[in-house]
This record gives sequence, structure tokens and C-alpha cells, in this order.
Amino acid sequence: MAGVSTKEIKTRIRSMESTKQITKAMEMVAASKLRRAQAQVANSRPYFEILYTTIRDITRSNRDFSSPYLKERPVKKVMYLVIAGDRGLAGGYNSNILKLVMSQIQDKDAVVLPIGKKAVDFFKSKNVPILTENYAEAASVGIGDCFSISKQLSKAFLEGEFDEVYVAYTSFVSMLSQQPATMQLLPLKKPEAREEPAAPRRCDTIYEGDSEEVFAAIVPEYLGGILYGALCESRASEQAARRSAMDSATQNADEMIADLSLKFNRARQAAITQEITEIVAGS
Amino acid sequence: MTPFHLKIVTPDGLIFDGQAEELIVRTTGGDVAILARHIDYVAALGMGRAVVVSNGQRRTAACIGGMLSVSGGEVTLVPTTFEWADKIDVDRAEASLQRADKVLHDESASSTDIQLAEARLHRALVRKSVASYK
Repeated sequence: MAGVSTKEIKTRIRSMESTKQITKAMEMVAASKLRRAQAQVANSRPYFEILYTTIRDITRSNRDFSSPYLKERPVKKVMYLVIAGDRGLAGGYNSNILKLVMSQIQDKDAVVLPIGKKAVDFFKSKNVPILTENYAEAASVGIGDCFSISKQLSKAFLEGEFDEVYVAYTSFVSMLSQQPATMQLLPLKKPEAREEPAAPRRCDTIYEGDSEEVFAAIVPEYLGGILYGALCESRASEQAARRSAMDSATQNADEMIADLSLKFNRARQAAITQEITEIVAGS
Repeated sequence: MTPFHLKIVTPDGLIFDGQAEELIVRTTGGDVAILARHIDYVAALGMGRAVVVSNGQRRTAACIGGMLSVSGGEVTLVPTTFEWADKIDVDRAEASLQRADKVLHDESASSTDIQLAEARLHRALVRKSVASYK
């Protein structure tokens, strides 16, 4: 008999096949979720483009414009919003983003607001102060939650609780590549004045209240929008990462099944040969 | 009446894109009505009823947050949420109202909880009152 018995190989093949079925199903689920996440981003994009244009126009049209949202202060305390996933089995998706944040907050006085179960668990185990655990489930965080987070953070920023606010997310480069990244939310970077030649615009726009009031009212909305965009992008990245992880798992399973089938057939052949030899020898 | 081009965009997508004769919305400073050939104008929105008149038809909606901008005769409304009166889920608004009410009567609630509940209560009230216009 060649090594292992045929029966043993058969059970291994069977278990491998069921694993393959699961990974295949997970891959397909991730692919369909990925499409939905991308559609969400596309739907919400025009909204934020309009908000951004308005913010840019306001800052550009008044020379001596000042808003507490734009003011940079000496940095004592920073706030990190970390978007990770709820579940593993997504390649390096969770560990990459958490590693990046850890390296950035090492020598700072930082507070984190984790979104996603993996992020909550990670920062708890590292004893990093957590602002709130209300958003432990990334899948259930909607646009409304983004707006309430951004309002809460804007208020805390104005009150001086934090001097800088960052969001850490995973940017969706392509189906095969996702990059962890951080972005500064507050203080707002003043939109570049020279990105396009100032259009011949009339400076007679009327602002309800005044321009600073309008600015202060739309900044939290705008931040909520950026946050939602980052969240959607992270979700798309998570699904893409899971899809490719599961894709390679399925391929591995295929390879192992092929290998085992070969072994199985050899073992079967060996058994038959042996039987024939015994019969021939006996007669 | 002369029509103008109106676009209503929310984070969930495009709600309205077409010609309208009149738009009434509640800004942080009170209700305003926009007609054709309005001067360039920007306002932050409050929470309240919005009315769109297009092709002689009046449609009412609950419009919450965001901003309104008029630029070169183009009117763009970018609210955080915008629901036509006939699409408002009254049961959901009612449930949200109850939930907010409970928090507001709870003495152990934290100040952020109370703020969130107040905002929720306000939104639910707007939705309920707008729903009765359909």
C-alpha cells in the first residue's frame, strides 16, 4: 500500500471540497457587496462636490476670511477616527490599517474613535483611550451616523478638546490593491486658490446671515460627507481584499484537491495491482 | 411663471433635476422663496417644509440640513435628507419620536445623548407635520 489509505485520502478530499465551497461563496458575496459599496460612493459624490465648491468659493471670495475651523493651533491632543472591518478573513485589510495608525500615534497624546469591531478590539488590547464604542459595527454605520460623528467632532474641536482630527481609512486603488491612508479633517486645509484660474465671477453673492455663518453651518456637513466617503471606500476595500483573499483560498483548495486526487488514484491503482498479484500468485 | 433649472442632490443621490417655477425652503434664517432670475445666493438650511412648484404642480417635502445655492440662474439644493411628503414613513417618524422622548425624560442620560435625542425629536416632528400635507 502506498502510504495513506484510500479512505483517509477520500475524507480529506471531501473536507477540502466543502472548504472550497465556502471560500467560493464568500468570494461571490464579497464581489456583490463590493459593487453595492461602489454604487453608494458614486451616488453621494455630486453632493459633496457641490459642498466643496461652495466652501472653496467662500474662502476665495473674502480675502480676510477667518474661521475657527481653519485655524491651526499648537498640537497637544490629536483625535484619530479609524475605520476597519467587523470580521477577519480579508487578507491584510484590518492589520494594515491598524499598524499604520499605531505607528502614527506612538509618540502623541491621541484618542481614537474606532469604527468596526476589529478596530475596537485592537485599541482596547493596546490600552489606547477610546472616545466611544458606539460605532463598533462598521456595517451598520450609515450616513446619519457620519453626520452625528462629524458634528460631535467639530464641536469638540471648537471647544479645544482636540487640536487635530484625522481619519484613517483604506483607499480603494483597484480591485487588487488597497492602500491604508490617513487624512486630516480638522483644522480644514484652506482650499488651494490657484487650482484653476479664478473664473470671471461676480462678487455679489448674497449669503443668508453672512458668509462666515454659512461656512460654519456647512463645515460639519462637509466633514460628515468626507467621512462617509472614507467609510464607503474602506468598505469597498474590505470587500475587494476579502474577494482576492478568498479567490486565492479557492485556488489553493483546487490545487490541493488535484494533488490529493492524484494520490488517491495512485493508491487505488496500487491496491488493485496488489490484489491482482495476489490472485495470480495464488492460482 | 418663468421656470428655472432646479437640482436637488442628497448624499443618497439625485432627487430632482428639471424645470421648476418656485422653490420654498426653510433656511437657518427662516423661510425663503426662490423664483426665476434670483440673484446669486447661498444659505444654510434649517429643518422644515420645502415646496417645489413645477409644471403648475405643488409638491411638499421634508427638507433637513445642508444648503441652498443660486448661481447664474441655476438653483441647487443640497439637503442632508429630502423626502417627498407622500414617501415619508410616518410610523418610523413616530417610533423615532417616542425613542427621543424617552431619552429626554431619562435623568441619567448624558449631555451628548440628550443633544442627539433633541435633534432626532426635531426631525421626527418635521417629518410628521410634513406628512400631513400630502
